[in-house]
Amino acid sequence: MRLPDFARTTTFRWTLTVAGAFVLCTLVLFGFVYWQTAVYMMSKYDVLLIEELRVFASNTPERRLEEIQDRLSKDPHRNKIAGLFGADGRRIAGNMESLPPGLAPGVPTNAVVVRVDSGGREMQKVRLAASPLLSSETLVIGRNVDEIAEIAEIVLRALALGLVPALGLAVVIGIVLSSRAHDRLSEVNRRIQRIVAGDLRARLPVHGRNDPFDQLAVSVNRMLGDIEGLIHEIAGVGDDIAHDLRTPLTRVRVRLERGRTRATTLEELRTVVDQSIGGLDQSLAIITALLRIAEIEHSRRLEGFSQVQLAPLVREVGDLYDPIAEDKHVTLRVEAAEDATVHGDRDLLFEAVANLVDNAVKFTPEGGRVELALLRHEGQTVIRVKDTGPGIPANEREAVTKRFYRSDKSRRTEGLGLGLSLVAAIVKLHEFRLTISSGPGCTAEIACPQVN
Amino acid sequence: MAKLLLIEDDKETADEIRAELSDRGYEVDWAANGIEGLDKARSGAEEAMIIDRLLPGMDGLTIIEALRHEGVRTPVLVLSALGAVDDRVRGLRAGGDDYLTKPFATVELVARIEALLRRPAENRDTVLRVGPLELDLIQRTAKRGDRSINLLPREFRLLDYMMRRKEQMLTRAMLLEEVWNYKFVPQTNLVDVHMGRLRRKVDEPHEPPMIHNVRGVGFILRAPA
Repeated sequence: MRLPDFARTTTFRWTLTVAGAFVLCTLVLFGFVYWQTAVYMMSKYDVLLIEELRVFASNTPERRLEEIQDRLSKDPHRNKIAGLFGADGRRIAGNMESLPPGLAPGVPTNAVVVRVDSGGREMQKVRLAASPLLSSETLVIGRNVDEIAEIAEIVLRALALGLVPALGLAVVIGIVLSSRAHDRLSEVNRRIQRIVAGDLRARLPVHGRNDPFDQLAVSVNRMLGDIEGLIHEIAGVGDDIAHDLRTPLTRVRVRLERGRTRATTLEELRTVVDQSIGGLDQSLAIITALLRIAEIEHSRRLEGFSQVQLAPLVREVGDLYDPIAEDKHVTLRVEAAEDATVHGDRDLLFEAVANLVDNAVKFTPEGGRVELALLRHEGQTVIRVKDTGPGIPANEREAVTKRFYRSDKSRRTEGLGLGLSLVAAIVKLHEFRLTISSGPGCTAEIACPQVN
Repeated sequence: MAKLLLIEDDKETADEIRAELSDRGYEVDWAANGIEGLDKARSGAEEAMIIDRLLPGMDGLTIIEALRHEGVRTPVLVLSALGAVDDRVRGLRAGGDDYLTKPFATVELVARIEALLRRPAENRDTVLRVGPLELDLIQRTAKRGDRSINLLPREFRLLDYMMRRKEQMLTRAMLLEEVWNYKFVPQTNLVDVHMGRLRRKVDEPHEPPMIHNVRGVGFILRAPA
């Protein structure tokens, strides 16, 4: 047999379990209440019985008989019982037909006795206490304990009146809650199916109640947002590659075509082939650089971070570019008097600084000057690369850190235009700050928050 | 001539590599998949291996790890289309000796194979000698014949590297990786500029040249004939 949908949901099963536990607890509680009440009443009866017995026993025989009569006559509910029996067990007075066996003196005991009075004979469950008298008679007084049974009945009735509706309510609430949870889950499921089917803009519903469902939906939505961003990013990288490869590849194609028809000697053909290989290498370098930027931008390399000393790094970059600057007749001055340590990836930071210096040397005309400095500025450690080149117009400064941008004036200088994009990606990964300011010349600064 | 093993699943690439290497006198055995390759590699008959990373049914690194585990010490050049720095590190950590990213120039491949085959022995000499050239590692001095050469630390390091690999083709990428520990390709022709400096100091105009520039490939340090 198939259960209805809601009955198979986890929440409904939980509801049932909780309801079951609730019933069990209630039963135990009521049982305990009954038990405690019974014990309490029984002990109260016992105290009263012993007290009465003591009073009766201390009276004179005549007075005792009167008292017994008196006790029994003032009993409209027929709860009281008493008997005075002779040594031979014969009843002398009272409303008990016979003396029950096994009564210990002064110890209250449960027994079933036959009550005889004007109303006739009747079996009653009673609590009895007996006391032997000096005259070798036995005095027994008792009290009907059916009242305790009545209490049990009341308790049971209360239980039935309270428990059944409560249980019903619990099940109804359980069904409502679980079907609501079930509805939300199926809605989530439907949305997920849509996303799987390719609708990347779909998101999970958020009801604004900030319950666990909402929190989950918010987390998943954030993840979906990131994934959508990444996918667009990848598409963007793809577009960049397509766009920027088309130019060199077209050039290679034209060159090869012309070489094929125009070249008359092997030497000419070789030249064309060499140029074409150069063009292909350039295209491959573009792909490599783009992938590298994407790798850094979405890197998890933070785990590989360690303490990096900046002064030796800066000096090393200076050492590497010194002969290049010299060949170009550009003065490269390196200043790293004070050391600083940052948390980062040494290879990437080296690459970033090298790229800045590379750019500066490249764009600085002969006779110019490039300054590479590690300095402390307003509580921050700053790596500054300053040149006397043409600078970057203010409206292009942000654009230069975007992929593939090259300020038009510099197009005659070789280079892929990816250098600053790489630097920007590396700086962002480190949560440092890159600023490019201009005039005269160009100043690029990487500002790093200080680590002790 | 040296025997090589190539494990590469793409037949066209494999054919190109084999043709190029046979032209240079190598005998190249080819395996198209990891299992066959592993079998052939176990024989240990080859002097060096070229293993592609992405093989059908098996990662090239798994083969290398298996071989190293079995005690096969044959040097391995890992080929891969995965060019990220982390991939490279992983390749070397798995037991590869060198890592080359596809696509590559064939000369680069050949230079690296040669470098693997002629890896400098652990040399405890404190003075390196190539022809008239002498490098004192303790005194940090260099001499060509009687002429002492004044080197900057970075030039000393470069010459040291080249003298340990005399008569070997050293490509720009190899020099960047090994001498400057550079993990990326700089935009400027750094190597050429640094090499130019060193060359002017080692080879004076009247002396027969020792540092040779092989156009489009790299550099060789060779004792003058």
